[in-house]
Amino acid sequence: MGITRRDLLTATAGTAVLGSSVIPRIAFGETKTLKIGFLAPLTGEVSAWGLPGLYGCEVLVKNINAAGGVKIGDDTYTLELASFDDEYLPDKALQGFKKLVSEEGAKFVMMLGGDPWPGVQRFANQSKMLATTLLPSDLSPDTPYLLAPCEVHPIYNVTGVEYLARTFPDAKRAVICAQNDSLGIPSVATYEAAFEAAGIEVVDVNIFDPATTDFAPLVTSLLAKKPDIFCYDTAYADFVNLIAQQLHVQGYKGLQISCTCDNYPQIVEKTSKEFMEGFIFQFPDFDDPKLNEPFINFPEPNKFFADYNAAHPGTWTAVSWEYPSIIVQWIAGAKLAGSIEPMQVLEAMKSKPSWPHIFGEAEWWGQDLWGINNALVGKWPVVVIRDGKAVIAEYGDIPAWWAKNKDLMIKHMRNRKQMWDQRA
Amino acid sequence: MKPARLAVPALFALAVFMVALPFGLKLHQQDFMISLLVWVLVVSSYRLMALTGEYSLVHVVLMGAGAYSSALLAKLAGFSVWLAMPCGALVAAGLAAVLSFPLFRMSGFYFLIGSFAAGEAIRLSWTYFTVPFGGPKGIKLIPSPELTLPGLGPIAFYEPIPYYYLTLIVVGISLFVLYRLENSRVGLTMNAIHWRAPLAESVGVDTWRYRALAFVIASFFAGLAGALFCHYYGTANPVQFDVAAMVYVLIWVIVGGVSRFSGPIVGVVVLSVLNELFREAEQWRPLIYGCILIAVMLYLPDGLIGLPARIRDWIEARRGVAALPAGAEEPADFSSSKRH
Repeated sequence: MGITRRDLLTATAGTAVLGSSVIPRIAFGETKTLKIGFLAPLTGEVSAWGLPGLYGCEVLVKNINAAGGVKIGDDTYTLELASFDDEYLPDKALQGFKKLVSEEGAKFVMMLGGDPWPGVQRFANQSKMLATTLLPSDLSPDTPYLLAPCEVHPIYNVTGVEYLARTFPDAKRAVICAQNDSLGIPSVATYEAAFEAAGIEVVDVNIFDPATTDFAPLVTSLLAKKPDIFCYDTAYADFVNLIAQQLHVQGYKGLQISCTCDNYPQIVEKTSKEFMEGFIFQFPDFDDPKLNEPFINFPEPNKFFADYNAAHPGTWTAVSWEYPSIIVQWIAGAKLAGSIEPMQVLEAMKSKPSWPHIFGEAEWWGQDLWGINNALVGKWPVVVIRDGKAVIAEYGDIPAWWAKNKDLMIKHMRNRKQMWDQRA
Repeated sequence: MKPARLAVPALFALAVFMVALPFGLKLHQQDFMISLLVWVLVVSSYRLMALTGEYSLVHVVLMGAGAYSSALLAKLAGFSVWLAMPCGALVAAGLAAVLSFPLFRMSGFYFLIGSFAAGEAIRLSWTYFTVPFGGPKGIKLIPSPELTLPGLGPIAFYEPIPYYYLTLIVVGISLFVLYRLENSRVGLTMNAIHWRAPLAESVGVDTWRYRALAFVIASFFAGLAGALFCHYYGTANPVQFDVAAMVYVLIWVIVGGVSRFSGPIVGVVVLSVLNELFREAEQWRPLIYGCILIAVMLYLPDGLIGLPARIRDWIEARRGVAALPAGAEEPADFSSSKRH
C-alpha cells in the first residue's frame, strides 16, 4: 500500500470531484463529522504564529466541506475545527488538549509547539493521541505520537544561506541577532552551521532578551562589525519589523536574510522597496506561480491565498498555510489507513520512508538531531523580495545539504546545547 | 444571625463544596481548578507582602525559584517530590532573605523598580545557564509525587483528581497559616508599618525586619505554589514566570481588593472564571477582560470585595435611607477588632 501525490490531492482538492456523489448522502444525513483540534496561541505576543493558522484552517475546511467533505474508508466526513487558545502556556495547553481530545472528540491536534508542549506531553502519550508541532525541537524519543510534518524549523534555513552564498559569492561577513528563547537559539546554531558550510564568517552574534523594544543599540553594535550580511535569525514578526526599520535608519545597504518576514508589505512601506530588495526568507505568499509546480501537495494554492485574503485581509503570515498543509497530510494519512483513529493514521503515515510533504516528496527524519524520525524533511522554498513583492527564487534541498554538512550542524547544535540529549 | 456566626458554617459549606467539586467537572476543568488553586496561593501570599505597604514585582519570579528548585532537586538530585517541594519553597524564601538586604534599602516606587530588576536578573539567569536550568526551553519531564497507601495501592498524582486534592490540602493549610499570621501580633505590626511607619519606629518596631519577614514568608508560599505547579504540569520555563504573569497577579490582587484577606482570592477566582467563560470569544477575550478591569476600577475602587457594600448602599439609597459612603461601615481586616 502506498500513497502518491495524486492520492493526496484526491483527498483534498480532489474532494471537489467527490462533491457530486456526496451531496445526496449529506441530504440523507449520512455524512459524519470529523473534528480536528487546533491548539495554539490565539492571544498574546505569540498569537501571530497561531491565529493566522486558525484562519487558514478555516478557509481550507470551508473549501473542503463546500466540495462535499472527505471520504475516508467507507464513510464521508465533513470537517470541523475545534480550537483552544493555549496562550503559549503549558497549563493552558494541557487544559486545551484534554478538552479537544476528551470532550470535543478531536482525532488529531495541531499545535505550534515550543513552551506549551511539555505540559501536554504526558497526557498525549497516555492517551495515544496524534499531535503535530511546527517546532521539531519538541521531538525526542519520549514523543512517539508527535509529528513535525510541515515545518522543520530551523533546519530549512540552510537553504536560504546556500542560495545567498551562491548568488552573492563576494559576501563573506555575517552578523546574527536572535531573541534568547527556544525559537531563537536553535536557529542561531543552524545559521552558524549554514554560514560556515558556505564559507561565510560569522563576525558577531547578538542574543537579545525577548522583552527588548529598542533595537537601536543592537543594530549599531552589529553594524560596527561591517557585515556584508545581516541575519535576523528566527525573530518574531515585531522584532523583524523594528530591526529592519533600525537598519534602514542607520543606513545599512548590505544583504539581509531571515527565517520569516511576516507582514513584509508593512516593512516595505516603512522603509523602502530599494532597502528591502533582495531580502531573503523562507515563507512564500501563496499567489506565487511556482506553487503550481506539479510536485506541490496543496490544493489550489493560489485560490487558497485569494480566499484567505478575502476572508482575513492583511493577516497572512508564515503559519497561514502551514497548519492547513498539515490537515492535507493528515487526510492523506487517514485515507491510506482507511480510518480516522489516531494510531492507525500515524502508522499509515510512518509506514513509508517518504511522504508527500507540501513542497514535494520528503523523508521521515530527525534521529540525529532529535532522537526520533518524526520530522518530514525535503525541499523548502527560498523566498526573495523583488520590487516589494515576495517571490520564490528556488526550492532548496535540505537532505542534500544535510548529507554534506551533517557533522557541522551537529557541532553547532551541540555548542548551543540544543541537541535533544542536552536538554534538561 | 450575625456575619461572624455565619463564618464557620460558610467555611464548612465551602470545604464540602471544594471536596465535591472535581466530580462535577469535566477533565479540562479539573486542570483549571488545580491551576486556580495554585494562583490563589500566589495572590494570598502576595497580599502578606502588600500588608507592609510594599508592592514587589519579584513575587512570580520567586514562585519560579520554588518551581525550578523543586524540579531540579527531584529530577537531578534524586529527592523525593514530597521533600523537594518544601525545599523549593525554602529556596524561594532564602532567595527573598538575601534580596531583602538591597531591596529594603528602598521603598515605594524605587522598591518596585528594584524588585523588578532583581526578578529579571534571576529569570534571565535561568535562560542564560542551560546547565542546570535548561535555558529558554526550561526543564521538562518533571516527576509528579508518588504515594502508595496501604490497601489503596499507588495514587496516580499525575491524574487531575488526586493532584487537585493534594493542591487543595496544601493551599488550604497555607491559607490558614497566612490568615492566622495576618491576624497575629506580627501581622498587625506589619499593618501598622504600612500606615504609620514612623510611628511604629518611634515605639521600637524594627520596620526593616518586619518588612523582610513579610517578604520571606510570602516568598516561601509563592515558592510552594511554584513547586505545586511544576510537579503537575511537568515543566518549568522562564516565560511562565515573566513580568506578564506578575502583571496578572497585580491585576487579580487590585481588582479583588487588598483591604481584606479574601479580596485577592475573590479577584483571581472571578477574573479567571470569567476568562474561561469568554474562551469562545477567542481573540476578543483580552478586550472583554480589559473592559471588566476598567469597569471595576472605575466603579469599585475598593475592588470586588467592596461590591456587597456598594449594592447595600445602593439599595438603601433607593429606599431613601441616607447611605454611608461605600465601604465606610466595612471594618478593615487590619483593625484590632478583626484580630481573632
